[in-house]
Amino acid sequence: MQVESIKLIETQHITTVIGAALGALLLPLLSFLIIGFIKPRKSDWLSIFFSFVSFLLSVYCFINTWNSEIHHFTWQWLNTGVIKLNAGIKIDNLSSLMLVLVTLITTLVLIYSTEYMKGEKYYNRYFAHLSLFMFSMLGVVLADSLLLIYIFWELVGFSSYLLIGFWFDRDSAAAANKKAFIVNRIGDIAFFVGIMILFTQFRTLDLSALFGTAGKAGLIQQSVVENGMWKFVDVFGQAKTLDSWMLTAAGLCIFAGAVAKSAQFPLHVWLPDAMEGPTSVSSLIHAATMVAAGVYLTARVYPLFNPDALTVIASIGAFTAFMAATIALTQNDLKKVLAYSTISQLGFMIAALGIGAWQAALFHLVTHAFFKCLLFLGAGSVIHQLHHVQHKHHLDFDPQDMRLMGGLRKQMPVTYLVLLVASLSLAGLPLFSGFLSKDLILIGAWSGEKPGSTIVAVLLSVTSALTAFYIFRMIFKVFWAENRLQKTVENIDVSVHESGKSMTIPMVVLAIFSLFAAFSINPLHGTHSWIYEGLIVPLNSFSPKIQYMEFAESWVPIITVVLAVAMILVARFAYYKQKMTFLSKQSFLYKFSYNAWYFDKLYNSVIVKSVVLLANSIRWFDTNIVDGFVNGTASVVQSLSAIVDWIDRNIVDGFVNGIAALAGRLGNLIRGFQTGRVQQYMALGVFGLILIIVLSYIF
Amino acid sequence: MLNGIPLEHFVIVSAVLFSAGLFSVLSRKNAIMILIGIELMINAGILNLVVFGAFDKQKNEGQVFALFAIVLAAAGVAVALAIILNVYRQFKTVEPNQVEEMKY
Repeated sequence: MQVESIKLIETQHITTVIGAALGALLLPLLSFLIIGFIKPRKSDWLSIFFSFVSFLLSVYCFINTWNSEIHHFTWQWLNTGVIKLNAGIKIDNLSSLMLVLVTLITTLVLIYSTEYMKGEKYYNRYFAHLSLFMFSMLGVVLADSLLLIYIFWELVGFSSYLLIGFWFDRDSAAAANKKAFIVNRIGDIAFFVGIMILFTQFRTLDLSALFGTAGKAGLIQQSVVENGMWKFVDVFGQAKTLDSWMLTAAGLCIFAGAVAKSAQFPLHVWLPDAMEGPTSVSSLIHAATMVAAGVYLTARVYPLFNPDALTVIASIGAFTAFMAATIALTQNDLKKVLAYSTISQLGFMIAALGIGAWQAALFHLVTHAFFKCLLFLGAGSVIHQLHHVQHKHHLDFDPQDMRLMGGLRKQMPVTYLVLLVASLSLAGLPLFSGFLSKDLILIGAWSGEKPGSTIVAVLLSVTSALTAFYIFRMIFKVFWAENRLQKTVENIDVSVHESGKSMTIPMVVLAIFSLFAAFSINPLHGTHSWIYEGLIVPLNSFSPKIQYMEFAESWVPIITVVLAVAMILVARFAYYKQKMTFLSKQSFLYKFSYNAWYFDKLYNSVIVKSVVLLANSIRWFDTNIVDGFVNGTASVVQSLSAIVDWIDRNIVDGFVNGIAALAGRLGNLIRGFQTGRVQQYMALGVFGLILIIVLSYIF
Repeated sequence: MLNGIPLEHFVIVSAVLFSAGLFSVLSRKNAIMILIGIELMINAGILNLVVFGAFDKQKNEGQVFALFAIVLAAAGVAVALAIILNVYRQFKTVEPNQVEEMKY
């Protein structure tokens, strides 16, 4: 697709497409408000209806903009004279694709939830929160400026906090949502620092102005790095120069936001804990949408990354992918396997962005959203049925523990089939969507020319093989062999049955999207898929576009598929036939993997403890020094005022009272002369006169 | 001109007269007696005026003043008697010691 053929429409008015996008954005919010304030009886169907309309509007936007037009609607939001901030909606190929993806998956998950969450105490609240989440996620996708993205980014964080802690009466869920929120805050702060770096220098946060659009270079793409100095022009046309490390810093700060949201090392620890939320929530926010926001953001600001930043991104992505895959190998909790799988796959996407395989990363984001959502929904279906068994027979077991499952494929055929499709897609076998996107990433990694790119490629290839192993370990443990739960309880029939239609239909829809046909006509090569061709790599003036090597294009898929098939067979041998064991449970490697590389323990002992220590010492300082100072001052003032009080009472009052008493006594004394006797007055007058005369004679 | 009587005698008589009047004013209980004492004192003063007026040959001012004083004394007696009369009506007494309304 030629860049030139895309028409850019900048508008100040609400066109039909913009109106549709606004509708798609605001309907979920409306649904949230209606459920929250009016409390209708059919809140589930209300939110499904609203999100389905939102989906239809998104499809309308998609049809009208994909490869034809870019709509950019801006509206001045804040004007303080010097600082002008715009808010608006930008719909290009990436936005409209994400729009459809988010609304479709949310609608499916909402339909699924009507059965999955049935009988919950806060059933209506669940749909309200999910609608709020959908609104914030669509906001991130549609926002046209970094500030607006940041605002919706925080809303995503907040609504995920609500959803993870949906069962807030469980301590573990309450702890998990706090953990998710706090870990995300760390990334958010860095993200905000990055935004501020860009804003102070470029004086704008508009995505088009900064990063260009439709073949037009933005301010960042026009800037150059010469002799370690970063030269650029801000939005008012003023030329500026900065040290080039500021460019790296800005890129890495914004990327740090993505690290937290997309659960990359070192901030990945919140995602496994977030499995405390309902499985349908996990499928939506921890597989398809919220964690994808980090990848989306990294892709959006891609022109900002210079080679240094890209190296960091690729390293973090590859390392995360490998680490999470090794952890997923040993987990016994069904959802934990999927959680680490998600982290691993997000690592794939981030690594792909780091090595410059921009299109492949977003392609993988889309395909992964479908099959990972499906994996979670399938797992939810299994958990839901086991939960029913547990409830029915009053048994005490963990319905998420894979060690108690097995042999479920005949009892839950639909769930088994869709999970198999999703697993094959995740493992990256031909004919499935995951193959197309993941192999593009691997080809890109092996085509890298930078030193060290081989390490990334090796890590990703090993991860790919491990992925096939751990996901089929799950399939064989859950659906094959014999039911291990039955062994623990002899007399009770613990057989499960298939979930209802409102759970299976969304899963089947997602399964269809996990096949190659939804994305590409050629099942073996992804470069001609419509998504890959439609997503135009934004120009990165600091780093050249990746060129796929012939050698990698032909050999990498073959080796990957062979490795994956081999791993699936090994998994079958080990977990279905049970003729092979790998590491004893006492071995260090097993424990290392089972305990997730001891990251939680490390963070607890290093960061949490030191923070608590710091907090305690600050509290000590506060209660002793600050309070002591305040109390000391208070007591000094008290004693001073006691002195003043004494002075006031005794000296000042004494003086005043003394004068009064003197006057009173004098008055009393003189009053005595006022006898009212005329003759006495006369006598006194005469004697006084005589006295005066006598005295005047003497002196 | 004083018919051979020395001035001192006049002055002594006058002083005795005045002292008697003063004694009467200070010691008598009855307001009438006090009034009489006052008259004595005025007449002592008039006597002095007349006596010292003898040395003023040209205009007889002493005697003129003496006449004035006599007239004034008469007026004073009239006023004082009116006051005494009113006091009596008010307090049913003419003793000043009994009339103590104005003390303090």
